[in-house]
Amino acid sequence: MKNVMIKEFKLMLKERGNVFFLIILPLLFIVAFGSIFNSAGSTSITIHVHDLDRTAASQAFVKQIDRLKGFTVKKENSPSVASQVKKIKDGSLSSLIVIDKGFETGLQKGGVPIHFYQDGAQSSSAAPIQAILQNMANQYREQKLAQTLSARGLNPAQIKQTLAAPIHIQTITENGKHIDFMSQIVPGYTVMFVFFIMISMLQRFFKERDSGMIARLQGTPLRSAGYLVGMWIPPFVSVLIQCAVLLFFGRLFYGLHLGNPVVVTLIVLCLAFCGTGLGLGLSMIARSQNQGIGITQLITMGGAIVAGLWFPSDMLPSFVQNIGYFTPQYWAMQGFQDVMIRDAGLSAIWLNLLLLLVFGVFGLAIALFRFRPFIHDAAH
Amino acid sequence: MENVLEINQLTKAFSSKTALDHVSFSIRKGTCFGLLGPNGAGKSTTMKILTGILSADSGTVRMFGMDAAANRLAVQKQVGYVPQEITLYDKLSAIDNLKFFGGLYGITGTLLKTRIEAVLQETGLSDRAKDQIKSFSGGMKRRINIACALLHEPKLLILDEPTVGIDPQSRNHIFDMIRHLRDSGVTVIYSTHYMEEVEALCDEIAIIDQGKVIAQGSLEQLFDRFAQKAVYLETGKNFQPESIGEVKKIYRRGHGWVLETDHPLAVMKTLLDHQESGDELKAIEMVKPSLEDVFLSLTGTSLRD
Repeated sequence: MKNVMIKEFKLMLKERGNVFFLIILPLLFIVAFGSIFNSAGSTSITIHVHDLDRTAASQAFVKQIDRLKGFTVKKENSPSVASQVKKIKDGSLSSLIVIDKGFETGLQKGGVPIHFYQDGAQSSSAAPIQAILQNMANQYREQKLAQTLSARGLNPAQIKQTLAAPIHIQTITENGKHIDFMSQIVPGYTVMFVFFIMISMLQRFFKERDSGMIARLQGTPLRSAGYLVGMWIPPFVSVLIQCAVLLFFGRLFYGLHLGNPVVVTLIVLCLAFCGTGLGLGLSMIARSQNQGIGITQLITMGGAIVAGLWFPSDMLPSFVQNIGYFTPQYWAMQGFQDVMIRDAGLSAIWLNLLLLLVFGVFGLAIALFRFRPFIHDAAH
Repeated sequence: MENVLEINQLTKAFSSKTALDHVSFSIRKGTCFGLLGPNGAGKSTTMKILTGILSADSGTVRMFGMDAAANRLAVQKQVGYVPQEITLYDKLSAIDNLKFFGGLYGITGTLLKTRIEAVLQETGLSDRAKDQIKSFSGGMKRRINIACALLHEPKLLILDEPTVGIDPQSRNHIFDMIRHLRDSGVTVIYSTHYMEEVEALCDEIAIIDQGKVIAQGSLEQLFDRFAQKAVYLETGKNFQPESIGEVKKIYRRGHGWVLETDHPLAVMKTLLDHQESGDELKAIEMVKPSLEDVFLSLTGTSLRD
């Protein structure tokens, strides 16, 4: 076993692709998505406004929108409204606010329409602007009501009391002291790339089998169990190193809060056991390398989507969330986030650890069950 | 001389195809035993059963006086197996490959170092010890492939077509290694479909075809029993070979004739008598039999078919 292990470690070090897929590629993903989402807080939504009225009232309306945090107004005075509506139809512009001529006069008379054009295919990006417009329309209505009440002799205090909303919404953040985009990205990509170890394991076993090495080893005093364990431990250790590098990278360069180091280490250990256990099982049942790689990609990419490795799980449709519960990635991700965001201890994540171990044991059981037929095939 | 190996009525089938059909032979200690046969004859299957890689459907294998199936581990520790494929780790150095295989037999520390130096010396690759296997020529890989099976100083070395696709220099080196091993008391089983290799190396031979041993014995015994004796001669224009008595068959070869006979010396004497009576005789010699002739005589087909 020791000899097989040492040999596998040496081969791993010689195989540059391993370092790229297990360390460099996830680091690139973390850096790329970290840069995108870290700068997302400073970006604002652009609102295209075409002011045909160009009066003090219409300009005040535009200024009011521009003052809103997170929104930037882009005045579209030329070309014509028709050509800009065409842009919306073409899909090159998502929405446009048009203030018609006669806006100021209309306000004084009591009512005026503002046209809001939107691309039906991009309704999600137009939705915040629509909400802003609705909010502003409400503000204008309040102003109008205040003027009417004042005309009827109410003092400002009475008017304020009358117009006060019956419901006050107070936002209180109770949990997630350390939440930021990196607490999604770093553990997310760490968990996702851990499962790529399955491809490395699969390729090693197929190479050993196809080269005739497994057959030759059967003619030596090496026992089957020793061989299997010797082939398993190096990828297990490499996953531990992979997780340590990625999490420390997040800590060092993005200030990621890791939480209790002992608990995080336990998650990493269980995750490594799970990923390599499944890798071992898959190596024994795959009929060809291509089939094995296909299954691995399904597990890694499919699991990443449904387990909430790319987006928070609660942003996903409920049926997708339900599928996610059956993936090891979900339990690993939730475990990491509980520890990192909510400072959870072992008592809060024991179930996550247990389920990861169950997945790993499942893979190992398949490997043990299928190992004899595997080496039997290799002997011919 | 005691037998190192005794195979009795060994059979093995893969699905419906019979690979070995009641194969029996024995090998004396310190000899080089050739297993000769065409591709697919059952040579590799036999060797894999001997090393414990495959198990036989029926029959027994006794090695070093032990039942090989019941004492697999004890037997494997005394056997070195060189498979037909080059099973080495290309990205590791020769020394790393040797360390790996040595470790499998429990050799460690100073002994391992000494043994690695010895086998590298034997294979003539000491100066390439630290180079990656992928930088080696085919012949050098074959030599390291053999070296991996020698680290634990096996009493029985099993070589399955160890010279396939290599240059003459490496082939000669491997032959010298095998002769040296045999001379130092190691019993060697050498499987090949090259009859020249068997003729050059082996003390005893079993010819195997379609899963059956069709002949076995020393080279001389096989030639005596199965090769047709013959005389080759070149003559003048007037000579009529058909006139020679005791000749079973005559056919042309090159510039002369081959006269197949059970009594070559008598035929040669008759030919010489003819010359004295005036017939022109340019050349006369005994035809040296080959294993190819033996195989042809036994199966009716060429070994290379």
